[in-house]
Amino acid sequence: MSTPTQTETAPKSTFARLRDLWNDYLPYWFMAPMVLVMIMITFFPGAYDLYLSLIAEPTLDVFAADFVGLRNFETAFTRGGAIHSFVITITVVVSALLLETILGFVLAALVAGVGSDRAKSFYRVLFIIPMAVAPVSLATIGRIMLNSEIGIIPYVINTGTPFVAPNFLSDVPLLTVILLDAWNWTPFMFIIFYAGLSSVPKTLIEASRVDGAPMWRRYVHVIIPYMKPVVFVATLIRLIDLFRTFGVVYGLTGGGPGTATQLVSINIYEQMFINNQITVAAAIAVVYLVLVVALCNVIIAKVGFEGVWD
Amino acid sequence: MATTDSDSATASQRLDKDTRETIVTVVRHTILLTWSFIVLFPLYWLASMSLKPPGTANSLPPDWIFLPTVYNYIQLIQDSGFVAAFANSLVMVSASVVLVLLIGVPAAYVLSRYDIPMERDVLVWILSSRMLPPIAVVLPFFIIFRELNLFDTRIGMVLMYVSINLSLVVWVMKAFFDGIPETLEEAARVDGATQFQGFRKVVLPAAKPGIFSVAIISFIFAWIELLFGLVLTSFEAVPVTLFVYSFIGSRSIEWGMLAAASTAMIVPVVIFLIAVNKYLAAGLSFGVVIKE
Repeated sequence: MSTPTQTETAPKSTFARLRDLWNDYLPYWFMAPMVLVMIMITFFPGAYDLYLSLIAEPTLDVFAADFVGLRNFETAFTRGGAIHSFVITITVVVSALLLETILGFVLAALVAGVGSDRAKSFYRVLFIIPMAVAPVSLATIGRIMLNSEIGIIPYVINTGTPFVAPNFLSDVPLLTVILLDAWNWTPFMFIIFYAGLSSVPKTLIEASRVDGAPMWRRYVHVIIPYMKPVVFVATLIRLIDLFRTFGVVYGLTGGGPGTATQLVSINIYEQMFINNQITVAAAIAVVYLVLVVALCNVIIAKVGFEGVWD
Repeated sequence: MATTDSDSATASQRLDKDTRETIVTVVRHTILLTWSFIVLFPLYWLASMSLKPPGTANSLPPDWIFLPTVYNYIQLIQDSGFVAAFANSLVMVSASVVLVLLIGVPAAYVLSRYDIPMERDVLVWILSSRMLPPIAVVLPFFIIFRELNLFDTRIGMVLMYVSINLSLVVWVMKAFFDGIPETLEEAARVDGATQFQGFRKVVLPAAKPGIFSVAIISFIFAWIELLFGLVLTSFEAVPVTLFVYSFIGSRSIEWGMLAAASTAMIVPVVIFLIAVNKYLAAGLSFGVVIKE
């Protein structure tokens, strides 16, 4: 291969000079678009939300804007139902995260212990399928199957068991949302945990087996400590994504009945498009954004990525 | 005598162990098959509903045996915006995947190969773009897009889809590049290749599985997104998720067509998921779990 940058005494052509500029500053060219887009999607929305939250009427002209201090925050938290929606969000996030982590781990451990390789890969492929279902499609499935008049699940409970089915969408809407999310995203935990379990060194497991320790103790004392970084990363990413939840609830209940399933994201959406109060929506968005980013960063700082990146 | 004694003791112990293992195996597969049923039944139900003749989709007790018909699918294709929305999503999501790879992969390469000041902080900053709730991000863009005439355009949606996946692409690809020995490029450079040529002709081919899997996972995350379509489109750039949602909004829900639309949305993604099965853990864990 001939060297493209041969030293020549003749003055360089514009093309050659551009090429040198490209090659000499390659890392900068490679980083620049990513950094620009990142600034656009992190700092800009945060700053703009903050600006909107402090003014009376949305306007692009900063100088004409009527700044009203914290009035929008006051409206949001006294009459906007913001506190209620934060409680609902935390309930859903915490319960779904716990449920998905435990279920995902148990399923991963069970599949990892399957003897035949074919059965193993059968379960492995089958269990990831729910992730293919968009939250809004899951909501439609929920509406079809849980509908108290035409749904198959209430029908089976009422005719096949001595129990009377609750109306899933109005009696226990929060539980229904959590269970649907668990159906959707337990596979996420499962697949990461399964990979983590497969990376536990065989010698480590053999050693604890020789000790005669029962299975659960092997997990508690040997395997789970070894997998700590994997468990940390999986729960962190799932936590981050749970705060993004919107489609499944919006499609299933629309935040209702009443405000029973009104997540913060739904509340902001309704303030925007139903109440037409963009500035109040922005105030809630600012609080939500700051809380979520702060929480995740505190977790990262406290636990750290040690043992993950090194 | 003593030997026989101990022999029979081990034998009975072994028998004990065998029965115990059998019980464990039975319990294990019972639980796993139960979960398999939980996974499959809703999908079976959706698919069967989409194939039932009109009017019988939601009859109870259900018609377990029926003559499948593609009536709902034909309806779907003929008299609604389904085809437009499906094509919209396909185009917008694919374009966003290409764009996010073009932006994210080179940056990941630099993050992997160079000593960046405060590298961890940079990576956490990148991850933080995922922490921002989409509703908080979309609100400013809703206002800006109207000013820039990007509201209800495919370009606007492509940009928003890029924003969902950029952090994922950078993290996963950095991890993949970390796993490719630098000696490969050094050898190429000794042969006279520029750094860019080394990246393009040596590193990128080696990172192909990573790029492929992160592309598909990005595709899925954008494909299933509802909120951006809901806020930023009205007619021209409606994605398929919003189309499915619009069924729910209508007063008399046509269950058969709704089921058909949902099924059509899910099937390609299932195929994609199975295609990247091997690298799924690496991709979903942001590149943290690489080996399996």
